[in-house]
Amino acid sequence: MGQNERVPSLLLIEDDDAIRTALELSLTRQGHRVATAASGEDGLKLLREQRPDLIVLDVMLPGIDGFEVCRRIRRTDQLPIILLTARSDDIDVVVGLESGADDYVVKPVQGRVLDARIRAVLRRGERESSDSATFGSLVIDRSAMTVTKNGEDLQLTPTELRLLLELSRRPGQALSRQQLLRLVWEHDYLGDSRLVDACVQRLRAKVEDVPSSPTLIRTVRGVGYRLDPPQ
Amino acid sequence: MTQEHQGGGRGWSAARKGVWSRLRFTSLRLRLVVVFGLVALTAAVSASGIAYWLNRESVLTRTQDAVLRAFEQEMQNRAGALPEHPTQDELQRTAGQMANSSQRFTVLLVAENPEGQTVYGSSGGLNGFSLGDVPESLREAVTERQKVTSNNKYPHHLYWQRIVEDDTPYLVAGTKLIGGGTTGYMLKSLGPEAKDLGSLAWSLGIATGLALIGSALLAHAAATTVLKPVQRLGTAARRLGEGKLDTRLRVSGTDELADLSRTFNKAAEALEKRVADMAARDEASRRFVADMSHELRTPLTAITAVTEVLEEELEFEGGGIDPMIQPAVRLVVSETRRLNDLVENLMEVTRFDAGTARLVLDDVDVADQITACIDARAWLDAVELDAARGIHARIDPRRLDVILANLIGNALKHGGSPVRVSVREEPAEDSGMPGGSVVIQVRDHGPGIPEEVLPHVFDRFYKASASRPRSEGSGLGLSIALENAHIHGGEITAANSPEGGAVFTLRLPRDVSAAEDGEKAGDAGDEGAEGDA
Repeated sequence: MGQNERVPSLLLIEDDDAIRTALELSLTRQGHRVATAASGEDGLKLLREQRPDLIVLDVMLPGIDGFEVCRRIRRTDQLPIILLTARSDDIDVVVGLESGADDYVVKPVQGRVLDARIRAVLRRGERESSDSATFGSLVIDRSAMTVTKNGEDLQLTPTELRLLLELSRRPGQALSRQQLLRLVWEHDYLGDSRLVDACVQRLRAKVEDVPSSPTLIRTVRGVGYRLDPPQ
Repeated sequence: MTQEHQGGGRGWSAARKGVWSRLRFTSLRLRLVVVFGLVALTAAVSASGIAYWLNRESVLTRTQDAVLRAFEQEMQNRAGALPEHPTQDELQRTAGQMANSSQRFTVLLVAENPEGQTVYGSSGGLNGFSLGDVPESLREAVTERQKVTSNNKYPHHLYWQRIVEDDTPYLVAGTKLIGGGTTGYMLKSLGPEAKDLGSLAWSLGIATGLALIGSALLAHAAATTVLKPVQRLGTAARRLGEGKLDTRLRVSGTDELADLSRTFNKAAEALEKRVADMAARDEASRRFVADMSHELRTPLTAITAVTEVLEEELEFEGGGIDPMIQPAVRLVVSETRRLNDLVENLMEVTRFDAGTARLVLDDVDVADQITACIDARAWLDAVELDAARGIHARIDPRRLDVILANLIGNALKHGGSPVRVSVREEPAEDSGMPGGSVVIQVRDHGPGIPEEVLPHVFDRFYKASASRPRSEGSGLGLSIALENAHIHGGEITAANSPEGGAVFTLRLPRDVSAAEDGEKAGDAGDEGAEGDA
């Protein structure tokens, strides 16, 4: 699979030796280049040195925890982050998504599932068409995969970008959370709709003039979200 | 008409029942009032009775004595002055004079005139007092001549009797002059005295009535002083029963009721402590299971990751694994998967037990969800789906999938294919859920569930018989399905179909957020996202 592609490099931050070794083994066999770190501090250091394509981050870490690592990465970088959470307790998921993670998997995770998620996240950054669209002060350049607002470059994560692209491809049309999960996250029908909600929140914070009263990305009650060209 | 009558009857009996229960409720009060009333009645009646009797005697005796004395006097003075055989006129005149005395009685004088005829002299009045008005026995006693002895100095005495005529009491007296032939009778109305006594009786009756009312009020007050603490105790006991274990009574005084309150407080305290202990122990064991499953996850994550590596090796043509140990590797792989499921289910159960399970609501098409669930597990060939698209519900899709997977999986395992899944809508009035509900029925074609197992199908780790081979499930599946239905405010029921096979019926509200408005299950993330709506 994907022999022609550049082998994606991953950074796995996980404190448990057994899990780290096992996941490294599994992911390497799936064709990834894997660098590992046993703590958040080490992980942040490796991130600066190696510039990986994606980070797989355990939530429960000694020292600074996964959420904090996630927040620190987001301050400077928009690279995809997949959280590895031992607890599917909802508060963890919500906090994780709010701190900027693109997706999450719950332990005990199957290597294949993790691999699928990694590939889906990485695909979000791929360009496909070469046109651009304008929504008021917002310009989405699909060829350069950039979004500018009032001429200023917006720093979007691949997931946020993909979400914006999917919405902008059908302006004025409401997309359900499950549809968006399929389109953006490539999740099956059981995707967690909070992923969409959290990502929409983050996206609004970046593209809307007033994030609390959005004019571009509208909520359609009982359906999902819709991108409106401003009147 | 008949119906109307019956309705009336029912209403009346209901009213009677109400009265009866109220009387029963205050039976202590009622008993106290009755006892107090009886005591007051006895005391008042005997006191007034004695008073009345004494009064009556003294009033009557006094009147009577005065009248009789006056009569005697008149007889001696006036009648004694008559000749032995007076004429009718003389007799009449004397009688009139006698009646004019201060006592106002009517006089009848009887004598023989010189011709030997009996003559009568009456003072008139009182409708003509005649000899017929005098009782026979009195006449006899008056006219009879008695032997004169040392004890009895006179042959005639003054006799009297009380009679009642036309509801008015009268005093009748008579005597015969000694040595003269004239017999005198007098009649005196005791009406005024009777009236006095009557009003006395009335006042005594009123006094008795007042005493009764007073006693009833006193009894009421006494009952209240007793019943109020009892009522408080009852309220407190009810609160305690409702689980408000911090309920305590204010203890005032040193009487038996205060003792009772104190005992109640002690009991409540002991109960609270006990419940707290048990809750703590329960919490500790729940915590333990939760921690345990968490701890199990870490090694399991590592094992799962490498098991997949082993699995791929197995699938790899020409096999990198020694055929001799292949069965062992297969066993490790399959059992790891089982262990994974078990731990996953345990985690789910502990979340439900700890109350940390939350709904993540979304609008879904129920038929699509079921199709996706069946499709994802490759059950399409074994399941007949009877569901029209377009039935929308606002639920947690992941939890619906868990429920469906468990119900259909269970039907496939224990029943027999084809498993029939049907969906229908139910309006609010039938389901008792605001906004209506969605009913999903899963029916298999197996032998059905034995009656004795039916009540336990949702129990954790319940196996129909100990000898039954270990099933593939974790033993938590149906329990988790039920919990997932409950967290939606829904329900799952199990039954046997009359046509054979088991039927599981899942009923979920169309809109959970409407059904449990303001409930903790409120989807915080969603609310935030929809803040602009």
